[in-house]
Amino acid sequence: MTDIRQVIASKLYQGEKEDVAQLVQQALDQGMGPEEILSDTLMPGMDQVGQDFKAGELFVPEVLMAARAMKAGVSVLRPLLTGSDAAYVGTCIIGTAEGDLHDIGKNLVGMMLEGASFEVVDLGTDVGPGVFVEAVRERHERHPKIVGMSALLTTTMVNMKATIDALEEAGLRDTVKVMVGGAPVTEAFAQQIGADGYASDAASAVEIARSLIA
Amino acid sequence: MITQSNYMEYRTPQFRRLSDDQLERIHHASLEILDRTGVCLYDQEALDLMKKAGVKVFEGNRVRIPPGLIEWALSIAPKHITICDRNGRRVMPLERNNVFFGPGSDCLWVLDHRTGERRRGTLDYIEQGIRVCDALPNIDFLMSLCIASEVEDQKVADRYQMRAMLMNSTKPILFVTPELEGCKDAVEMSEIVAGGAEELRRDPSSVCYINIVHPLRHNAESLQRLLFMAEKGLPSIYCMVVSGGSTGPVTAAGAMALANAGELVGVLLAQLKREGAPVIVSGGYAHVFGMLTHGGSGGRPRLLGARPEMAHYYDLPAFGLGGATGAKVVDQQAGAQAAFSLLIEALSGANIVHDIGYTGRADCYSLELLVICDELIEFVRRFMGGVEVNEETLALDVIDEVGPHGHYLDHKHTLRHYRQEWYPKLLDTGKYEDWVAAGSKTLRQRASERVDEILAEHQPEPLLPDVQKRLDEVVRRATG
Repeated sequence: MTDIRQVIASKLYQGEKEDVAQLVQQALDQGMGPEEILSDTLMPGMDQVGQDFKAGELFVPEVLMAARAMKAGVSVLRPLLTGSDAAYVGTCIIGTAEGDLHDIGKNLVGMMLEGASFEVVDLGTDVGPGVFVEAVRERHERHPKIVGMSALLTTTMVNMKATIDALEEAGLRDTVKVMVGGAPVTEAFAQQIGADGYASDAASAVEIARSLIA
Repeated sequence: MITQSNYMEYRTPQFRRLSDDQLERIHHASLEILDRTGVCLYDQEALDLMKKAGVKVFEGNRVRIPPGLIEWALSIAPKHITICDRNGRRVMPLERNNVFFGPGSDCLWVLDHRTGERRRGTLDYIEQGIRVCDALPNIDFLMSLCIASEVEDQKVADRYQMRAMLMNSTKPILFVTPELEGCKDAVEMSEIVAGGAEELRRDPSSVCYINIVHPLRHNAESLQRLLFMAEKGLPSIYCMVVSGGSTGPVTAAGAMALANAGELVGVLLAQLKREGAPVIVSGGYAHVFGMLTHGGSGGRPRLLGARPEMAHYYDLPAFGLGGATGAKVVDQQAGAQAAFSLLIEALSGANIVHDIGYTGRADCYSLELLVICDELIEFVRRFMGGVEVNEETLALDVIDEVGPHGHYLDHKHTLRHYRQEWYPKLLDTGKYEDWVAAGSKTLRQRASERVDEILAEHQPEPLLPDVQKRLDEVVRRATG
């Protein structure tokens, strides 16, 4: 008989969310621990999706389907994991820079992060520094936090610095890691405005987010 | 579903170079050339067939052909010819606007895809190149690519080339042989693979390509091969090449009328030999003699696309040419000429587009250009597919459901259709950083690597050992 872990991983890869949820329940019924299912089955499965996306073998919609299936599997496990948010590896507060309405990239990053077991708080588009600061303050007591911002325009990417400065002023800068991305944004720009990380696409955003909270 | 009345849909782009009146005028010009000037036939059997049809021979081998005879031949020549693969699958139905693509044959030189060096063609190169053709999804048929120059007796090099094609791919073959004996051997080898003469006639997997450089002088070898194929009931391509300003008028219409006249002679002779013999024509291939370079000039915009329209005027399958370049290396010129010619030939409905991968003066083969063209053909095919407009593709319910603030990235409508779109593999559309990370490679470098990948991965379907042995025997017998 095929190992249920392999079946879950392949259903996850295929983006079959109902099957994944059902199989995760089945694995629990067979006596597997929730932590084990998460770390040995779902997470490696999602890593494979990320790798194949980077290699050009998977397309965006397939990655998103897999991310949804991941979410469905994790939601079965969440009540069983010790601590209310132990199923999350971290929290990401994301939004597009103030003045910027281009959100496709931000949405993609959000879904990829959810697929990688991050709790994602999506503040939407045209998010001012004050809104970011408030969102961080509200989650002050939660596990490791990341603030993610994206911009498509050279005219709005400068506003990402305003958010970093506002976090500094509010005394919250040390409680979060800041990562930025978007078409005109570069590694050098990220350093220049004092961000902690830069990702050039949604798949590498997950890697960067993981390394920032490691 | 909503009923729509009197709805008209264009599923493919529409394209015409010549009007109905212009095509008719060229047709009449060709008839007039044959009736007034006549042609020389350097083969006794061809002359005898003409005499039997009531045509008077003068000056020893010259005939003036009455228009009625040509009209008769056109009325019985088959309008539908299906070319099959090695396994008898009917993969190339030549009719109206079906377009199929493949390489050229018999280059003296090849461009080594690893070193860029120009060297003599070899049997080894043919075997490898045919394997590449076998793997490429948009290459529909085979030609020999280059000459097997290491074969000591060059008169039998065509047998080695034929065997290499039969052994390294299942795709249909357009073969070229200098003489009648080679043509007979090529047909025999095809019959061995097909399982017999009747099997090959029913599902023809090999086509004899006959190319004549002077439309009013038909040489013995060409006529003999045409008549042999006709007798067998197997298809031939009877194609003239007029060099405008040298072997025909420099003006496009005259060169085309002259070339077309020569091809009509081939259609007639094949029908006189065996009524219903399948013949494929080009519609009057012509280029301009390079008045500056004493040779071919390659590519003639005024005639591109017009020839297949002439063939289609007769409802005959049209032989075309594309994916080739005059450039000496696979450079920007090569890409531009290949892309233009492939698109134009497809738009004009040429049924068989050959010479893909030719460089220089049609004398140097490039596998890199071949794999680049494979991707360009995919582009062309997608373009020719047109735009589908209906309830599902308009997706009004989906647009309303997503609204101004949502997105379509993981909508089931997206999932249903995104694979129908084309995503290039060889042409680079990615990010600058990714391109740098992958080694900052040009298209030519990526094409070269693709050739190596295919050679490392792709193994063609083998022939049975017994069939291989019998092919070897034909080659050995010819070599003597």
